[in-house]
Amino acid sequence: MSNVNEVIAQFQEVVNQPGDHVKKYIAKTGNKAIGYFYYAPQELIHAAGMLPVGIWGGNIEPSSVRSYLPSFYCGILQTAFEMGMKGLYDCLDGMIIPNLCDSLRASSQNWKVAVPQVEFISLVPPVNRKTEAGVKFLLSEYENIKNTLERISGNKITDQALNNSIKVFNTYRQTMREFTKVARNYPDIITPSIRNAVIKSASFMDKVQYTALVEELIQGLKTLPVKDWDGKKVVVTGIKMDSPALLKILEENNVAVVADDLAQESRLFRSDILQTSANPLENLARYWSTMEGCSLLFDPEKKRCDMIIEDVKETGADGVLFCMTKFCDPEEFDYPIFKKRLDAANIPHVFIETDLETETDEQARTRIQAFTEMAAL
Amino acid sequence: MYTLGIDIGSTSSKAVIMRDGKTIVRKVLVTVGTGTSGPAQLIEKLFEDQEIQLSDIQKTIVTGYGRTSFKEADKQISELSCHARGVHFLFPSARTVIDIGGQDAKALKLNSRGMLLNFSMNDKCAAGTGRFLDVMARVLETNIEDMGSLSEQAQAAATISSVCTVFAESEVISHLSKGTGTANIIAGIHRSVAQRVSMLAVKLGIENDVVMTGGVAQNSGVVKAMEEAIKTRIKVSDYPQYTGAIGAAIYAFDEAEKEMTKRCSL
Repeated sequence: MSNVNEVIAQFQEVVNQPGDHVKKYIAKTGNKAIGYFYYAPQELIHAAGMLPVGIWGGNIEPSSVRSYLPSFYCGILQTAFEMGMKGLYDCLDGMIIPNLCDSLRASSQNWKVAVPQVEFISLVPPVNRKTEAGVKFLLSEYENIKNTLERISGNKITDQALNNSIKVFNTYRQTMREFTKVARNYPDIITPSIRNAVIKSASFMDKVQYTALVEELIQGLKTLPVKDWDGKKVVVTGIKMDSPALLKILEENNVAVVADDLAQESRLFRSDILQTSANPLENLARYWSTMEGCSLLFDPEKKRCDMIIEDVKETGADGVLFCMTKFCDPEEFDYPIFKKRLDAANIPHVFIETDLETETDEQARTRIQAFTEMAAL
Repeated sequence: MYTLGIDIGSTSSKAVIMRDGKTIVRKVLVTVGTGTSGPAQLIEKLFEDQEIQLSDIQKTIVTGYGRTSFKEADKQISELSCHARGVHFLFPSARTVIDIGGQDAKALKLNSRGMLLNFSMNDKCAAGTGRFLDVMARVLETNIEDMGSLSEQAQAAATISSVCTVFAESEVISHLSKGTGTANIIAGIHRSVAQRVSMLAVKLGIENDVVMTGGVAQNSGVVKAMEEAIKTRIKVSDYPQYTGAIGAAIYAFDEAEKEMTKRCSL
């Protein structure tokens, strides 16, 4: 148990001070670091010998950003811009901003002016991502990004290096899928806050070192007895659920997260990059066409709902928590469909809206507590 | 057996003592809520005539916005569950509840046993809450208690289109400067509250009987506007503000009984 706690403490340290961790990595290795919003070809950054750093905003009061983004942009972009403008991302040598939603689309140009010291790297993913033309289009986008990353790093990205990076990231994805399965047996140890800390810290750590640490945690957990859980079990869905106040409310109400469908968590690792072509860059581009269940990726069938219902069945969850990032249009468009489908499947669900990080959120507390008290649960 | 239910809201604190979870023997309301002297005043007033002593209370359950800060209770339960239970006690046939409190509004769906099946709450916004009516009463130089009767004199409700309290206040001021009668403006305000809050109930699906609770349910103008908005008759108890505290007192009785059964079986 002491080993498990020690490993968990390392993840918590990273998510509590992600900037420090990235700076230490740069100082220690001499490698550069590149930021990215949501989904980006991290394997390319890795193959160029640099550290991919996930950007999810943070706990900062938006002020300067008001000159660039209106107040109805999501908190992720508002705070990320504010942090960029305050120089908190100056340790990064570039920022990949994919055009995944209306807000990100407009943000890319704003970034160039608001945060000129962190080079903007454009990524325009195809909307019709499952067609061959879509794959070809993304391949050309990745070619551009590859050239930019080679210039920034001074390293040539060889096919061999990219194949190796794809292997590293596929191992990471497989390990994470195992972690989420094992973790659901230990809700008393892997609390919602700890689960988030373990998964989120991947955004700031070297993937080889990170994966080894998660593997150590999995093995440590497996040696521990599985205890009965008398609380409630939920599947969470949304862009992210990393507010310490919200995670604490879940813990106070004895709620365990047994699976997630979050962009910051499982959506990043629920499928692998397939080796269908001899060209690793094409394999990377085709991966985009195989990703499923995300509001940011065009899906006329809305498989996301079926995937969540499947998760509920598989984990025996009592219900689903929809964690809505305020002003996130793609998620807001998905919610009515989600609600209808889950109601039809007779699965209880609760809607929690998160905005900029706050220390207390009494409305969320009432909603979560009432949800756990509901007759259907 | 006496049990105590306390509901510490954002603008008022309420307490109810019940005998055997069936009869209300005492109810007290203090017009200040969480973070104030309200909860302490409540306890003082409850026991001031010493007919019932604090030591007579078998179990206390606290609910409401300030429930986590009242440490003297045996347990805290969310106001949604307590309102559901309280409404079931007052109106066993109720299946839909619309509750408008000082700073939030919610709709609840109940089963035949008064258990919460589903709910819907307002956003972090004052529009459609008691606070909204407070602000409007101040602008109109009217007592909030008189708004219901004044609205009955309206000939044509004024249009208050904004969903934001701040902008709605500007709209009311502009109606006043145009010479629109106070009664018509108040009727418009009530309609605006009803339109906003009724959406919460519509989202859940309205099933009869519908009951309104919370301080705003004392305003007959809002109740009438709500009936028009959902096209359904609404029931209101004689003491809608106490519904959460009643539910908490009944939950407290259940807890006390459970404990007794457990003790007897040992």
